[in-house]
Amino acid sequence: MSCEWREKVALFVDDELDAASQREFVAHLPTCAECPAAVSDQIALKKALRVAGAKFTAPPDLRAAIYSSIHPSQTVSRWWKWAMAPVCALLLGTIGFLLYPKSQPGEPMIASLVDSHITALASPNPVDVISNSLHNVRPWFAGKLPFTFQMPDVKDSPFTLIGGKLVYVEQRPGAQLLYQAGQHKISIFIFKARNQGTTPPVWNHDVSFTASSWKAGGRDCYLVSDASRDESAKLVTMFQEANRQ
Amino acid sequence: MSRLPNSDFEQLALPLLDSLYNFARWQCGDAEEARDLVQETFLKALKGFGSFQEGTNFRAWIFRILRNTFLTSRTGLERRSTDQEDEEGFEESVVTHETPELTLIRRADTDLVQRAIAQLPVAFREVLLLADIEEMKYQEVADALTIPIGTVMSRLARARKQVREYILQAAGGKS
Repeated sequence: MSCEWREKVALFVDDELDAASQREFVAHLPTCAECPAAVSDQIALKKALRVAGAKFTAPPDLRAAIYSSIHPSQTVSRWWKWAMAPVCALLLGTIGFLLYPKSQPGEPMIASLVDSHITALASPNPVDVISNSLHNVRPWFAGKLPFTFQMPDVKDSPFTLIGGKLVYVEQRPGAQLLYQAGQHKISIFIFKARNQGTTPPVWNHDVSFTASSWKAGGRDCYLVSDASRDESAKLVTMFQEANRQ
Repeated sequence: MSRLPNSDFEQLALPLLDSLYNFARWQCGDAEEARDLVQETFLKALKGFGSFQEGTNFRAWIFRILRNTFLTSRTGLERRSTDQEDEEGFEESVVTHETPELTLIRRADTDLVQRAIAQLPVAFREVLLLADIEEMKYQEVADALTIPIGTVMSRLARARKQVREYILQAAGGKS
């Protein structure tokens, strides 16, 4: 193992490097024969662990028992308690279902997208369709995804399109579009939204990469990048405008 | 309903129920015991919620209660006494020496990876569960387990190494 960066691979994949070291590591990747493979390898292991490790969910009766222990005043009468138990369980299940994806601190969707972006940085073949023209990249997705999307024309902008690939995250197929912005790369991810509506970009995801999520034109969109937030925001705006309905 | 004193607790704790149960179930290996452990954890946490400092990490705090409760349980004590894992030589495993065996790891089915997790000693498994499944940062894991961050890193590296070796061996590869 000759590469001195090798011991930083786990820190990089775990998103534990400070911003400066992360930039250096990203710059090092294309120049190294060992590290890109080690990064891909570590990501594959982490993904396998994430899927296999989330094996158990709390049984509904445990949920109901815990709810009762938080609300002891609800024990009015035995009859009432038994009558309410299934209702409480159902209600809790619904509340849990509604709250869980929003309040889960780890943000697995963003974490998975960061993984995909890192994989693209580390891979010698980061995209499946290579072209700097949206007129080649966008039609490539036709028939491969159960939805369509618009792409902005990045001519006369600081961004260059590298290409795109299909991704499958959280049981949803989507498009990953890779852009070059100076020394940095930006991934845009597009999925079919589970519900309609428009939401502005949210930036403060708990990862050291620049990450943003927004919704436009019935699409859930995400950005992950090692470029700055200001620079990334320009591309987000261009995508928002392209997908406005 | 007198919800006020407990509503904050409920909002913070209930979304973590599945994560806490998953952790407990892996560590106990038994559904009934995991149930009791999680229930006891919630009771202790609710009782001690007054001592929780707002603005600090609630997730690390409640996982710490769960972990301490587990370690003092019968299974926890048994596992601790049988898992004699030395902390020596961890630097060797921090620098990961694995060869890229991407295909084998990608092909490993969920069942095999779960067996690999199950064979880990408790001290390694708890770090792996918090870092790779709960996606906690190293510092959060250190807070939850009350161990130094360096120990988190070395145990995580060793846990992953053991999982990798188990998968590669089972899949017929060379580690």
